[in-house]
Amino acid sequence: MGSPPAGGSRTGAGGLRAVRLHGWNTTLTLLGAWLLLIAISGLHRADFLAQQTVLAVTFTMAITGVLAVGQALVAISGGILDLSQPTSLILSAYVTSVLLALGVPTVVVVVVAVALGAAWGCLNALVIVFGKLNPIIVTLATNFIGVAALFLVFQSAQAPINSALRAFGRGYFLGLPDIWWPMVFLVLVVGWLLPRTRYGRRTIAVGGNRVAAQARGVSLRRTRFGVFTAAGACAGMAGLLFAGANAAFSPTAGSDFLLPVIAAVILAGVSLAGGRGNILLLLLSVGFLSTVPTSLAFFGLTSAWQTVFQGAILILAVAIDGYREKRARR
Amino acid sequence: MTQTTAPPRARPAQSSATGARSRARELLTGAVASIAITLLVVIVVGLAWVGPAFLSTSNITIIGSFVAVPLLVGACAGFALLAGVVDLSIGSMVGFSGAVFASLVVAGWGPWPAGAAAVVLCLVCGTINALAIVVFGASPIAATLGMLTALAGLNRVIVGRQGAVTALIPDLFDFTSRLALSLPLVFLLALVVVALATVVVTSMRLGRHIRAVGGDEVAATRAGISVLRVRFLALLFSAMGAGIGGILYVGQLGSASNSLGTGLEFQVYAALMIGGYSILRGGVGNPAGGAMGLLVVAGVANILDVQAISPYYVNIIVGLLLLAAVLIDRLRGGDAYE
Repeated sequence: MGSPPAGGSRTGAGGLRAVRLHGWNTTLTLLGAWLLLIAISGLHRADFLAQQTVLAVTFTMAITGVLAVGQALVAISGGILDLSQPTSLILSAYVTSVLLALGVPTVVVVVVAVALGAAWGCLNALVIVFGKLNPIIVTLATNFIGVAALFLVFQSAQAPINSALRAFGRGYFLGLPDIWWPMVFLVLVVGWLLPRTRYGRRTIAVGGNRVAAQARGVSLRRTRFGVFTAAGACAGMAGLLFAGANAAFSPTAGSDFLLPVIAAVILAGVSLAGGRGNILLLLLSVGFLSTVPTSLAFFGLTSAWQTVFQGAILILAVAIDGYREKRARR
Repeated sequence: MTQTTAPPRARPAQSSATGARSRARELLTGAVASIAITLLVVIVVGLAWVGPAFLSTSNITIIGSFVAVPLLVGACAGFALLAGVVDLSIGSMVGFSGAVFASLVVAGWGPWPAGAAAVVLCLVCGTINALAIVVFGASPIAATLGMLTALAGLNRVIVGRQGAVTALIPDLFDFTSRLALSLPLVFLLALVVVALATVVVTSMRLGRHIRAVGGDEVAATRAGISVLRVRFLALLFSAMGAGIGGILYVGQLGSASNSLGTGLEFQVYAALMIGGYSILRGGVGNPAGGAMGLLVVAGVANILDVQAISPYYVNIIVGLLLLAAVLIDRLRGGDAYE
């Protein structure tokens, strides 16, 4: 298993410092792991360090990154995980495809897709808040219901090939895929705003200590509604990019994203217990995880191996994270 | 998690007369009672809609063979739930075990050594889960999600490009399709395992220890129970069940495909939660209730199947049942999430 994390012995009063240093530790670890992966792959095959690789990695990053922002918001607010993202993603992608085929203007479609994702998140929040039920169980159930309901509506769909959205999904801006830019924009905006706005700070406070936040007059209900609606809107936006970037898709296509997204959120140092996490670090964790498939391909390994590595990285990361927290608490 | 507001409902080991009385009350109003009623409703609906054929031996044989492996896997995974360490990797582990078993048999191994190897490899994975969770303190959901992902990948690697390994093993096929008392033997054996697990959980010391560890870690430690050992054991048990389940599936299906076991963990845990377990909090639920949860889902699936209704409705009903089950659990005094 993993060796003890770098940082030496931190005991007693050092605990607080350890918590503060945590962000930097994660940043350096992620950056180190990513550079190491690039270096090893580059040494193995020099042609790895080419523009093709950059394009493949950034393309993979886009949808995972947008979903990861939503997932991270839920986790930071103490909502643990939103397991229904596959449904909101495909719901938005499907409606996008249908509306575009009907000739609805692209701007309207974009608004509808994001709003639809937000509505789905709102629905989750409704059950969670008024039922006082655990989000992970509620979203597990709503995902069961959602994917099945989508299957009753369609088996396979695709956005019109000559639509502006599909052109966007294939296009490039400043040498990088079009769909990569909205993701970066979203991560930067949410990452910047979260610790700096009242709403963002409330989200963090509710996740960190619900009782204390409530005592200071933060409405739990309103915060939960806000967080799940925002997370749903992220999934709606991801669905838009998904419909633009992919050919035909089925209602189950969304489930492929769930595990990499959760892995990215945990690797970025977001605590599943809530209250801790830096959205900006998602750029590093999503980038690292998105480099793995391309890198493995250069080592001649099939795509099945990429899943093996993703899982192994996740186990290692949470083990190290757990160990670190155990020592910080001592 | 830190969201619990209500005091932990873990019932401490009781041995006095009041214990017996409260246990009797529990039988009438507790989680097992509501799942038993749900099962009864499913049977009544089945009889009313499908007719007497719903309870005919041939139909019960169909349901029984369908639900046998999930029953076994669920009974073993239930130990991990009770100990407070949910193991999400069981679905992929079933597929992994099946793939290992089938390809070893194809490579010329005998069924017994191949089966032993598959179970041992699953136990190794279970050990890795336990090391990460118990020793390093990783979150169970996150760590076993990693194992789920890794094993799903390994399954695809082992199975290879064809997408399935065909391994027809006459002895195993005979075993999995044999009838005893005019019901499938594997189904009856799974029920025996469930019954044994229920006895262990409700009236043996090991079971009390497992529930204590899941209910309140600190109190259990003070009572001199090794939390580490109990959780380690529970995770190994869960892995063993998945290992055996994968082998039985290969017997039933005659092959191991790269999608074997995919999503099984969510199906099984949804059914177990309908049956009174919790995936977030240890110490609640019992194997008999969990088994009834699986039977409810299998019964619903069977009714829809016989009536030629789209199987997607099963998942919609499972989702609604799951929400209803956790809502009822909360109204009965379970954890409220705010």
